[in-house]
Amino acid sequence: MAELTSFSYRPGHSFIHKIDTRFKLLFIVIIGFSSLKASMSGILLLSLIAVCGLVMVGISLRQVVRDLYIFIFFLIFIFAVRAFSAGGVALTNPFGMSLTYDGLIEGSLVCLRIILIVLIGLLFTSTTRTAEVKAAIDWILRPFPFIPGGRVATMTGLMMRFIPVIMEQARETSSAQKARSIENRKNPFYRMVKFSIPLLERTFYNAGRISMAMEARCYSGKRTGQKLSSNINDWISLLVIISLCIISFLV
Amino acid sequence: MNKYSDLQMMVYASLLAALMAVGAYLSIPIGPVPIVLQSLFILLAGLLLGRVWGTASVGIYLLAGAFGLPVFAGGTGGIGRFFGPTGGYLLGFLPAVYIIGLMSEKRKNKVLTDVFAMICGSLLIYAFGVSWLKVITGMELNKAVAVGMIPFLPGDALKIAAAAFIARSVRPLIGNGRS
Repeated sequence: MAELTSFSYRPGHSFIHKIDTRFKLLFIVIIGFSSLKASMSGILLLSLIAVCGLVMVGISLRQVVRDLYIFIFFLIFIFAVRAFSAGGVALTNPFGMSLTYDGLIEGSLVCLRIILIVLIGLLFTSTTRTAEVKAAIDWILRPFPFIPGGRVATMTGLMMRFIPVIMEQARETSSAQKARSIENRKNPFYRMVKFSIPLLERTFYNAGRISMAMEARCYSGKRTGQKLSSNINDWISLLVIISLCIISFLV
Repeated sequence: MNKYSDLQMMVYASLLAALMAVGAYLSIPIGPVPIVLQSLFILLAGLLLGRVWGTASVGIYLLAGAFGLPVFAGGTGGIGRFFGPTGGYLLGFLPAVYIIGLMSEKRKNKVLTDVFAMICGSLLIYAFGVSWLKVITGMELNKAVAVGMIPFLPGDALKIAAAAFIARSVRPLIGNGRS
């Protein structure tokens, strides 16, 4: 059995585990919005707190970097696009494009913002059980008519449950193919097909088994979900998050 | 479609939604630019699940993104993304998958129909994406097309070809593991 990816739930008793899931979702929304307006040092502050949270939950940062290495490539790309496309006084002119001071600042701001959102999302997925996510989404969708809240909630829960399974399967498939020196094949069509078919085959097989298991347990939409309850700690942490976000505008 | 129970299709739709989410992080490293697999799974959702469940799986994916889970390409999430310059592409996924599902349901397992359906779907995504990009950034239409459509076309052609091929071999597997 291979090791877990950092996207999966980690059982624990930390403070973050105990916060009500509805509050956690609200925190994500608040932090997401404030990251759009916050200053550079504000985002750094929030990211630092998120990193502390990850360490508190017990996720090794090295593992996070390893799981997201392709994402780091993405970040570099976004940074380069931003850095070269902003206006202002040019610092240097490599390859006929002008690298400006404003561009460098803007590029790092955008990248930091993305890193913050990913860290927060990671913190959420690693401290929240699928059943809790399901209950929270059911609660949020209750006031909306025409949306089958229970079903949407179940599907969201299942989706989060599948993400680590797919990551694991993808890693397994790609190492198996590397071991058979697939890197010598440069045809992108061939590579895409040969990677996707085993991945889909295995994950569909898995999904089929899950649906069979649910059917065997007489799953239906009318099931009583997990009860969510909020206490004073949740409200205190809401207050703390809001004030942190306000601070991030000011610093 | 009646061959499979609702429950089974629901689980498969969730799986496709998860694949779309993970697809933003999965890629095949060839040459300087890796091929990111996300849009491949969006095409496959329409082909494999049909219009109803395909649209549902995209809906779940977008909902998870709106809640702020980092599932969109580039890792950012949050409802703000829908109002950003790339929001039109995200919303375009919904009608695109619907159309792909609708057309491929009509004539099962015909490669040409699948390819044609996916071309229509991709064009729909670009119609939404580029016009939204134009509105948000105030670019002229030909510039918006040059930035938001032309660079992605070769990759899309490749993905459409691959998706048609993959769908052919994965379709019989739906419902497997239940015997």
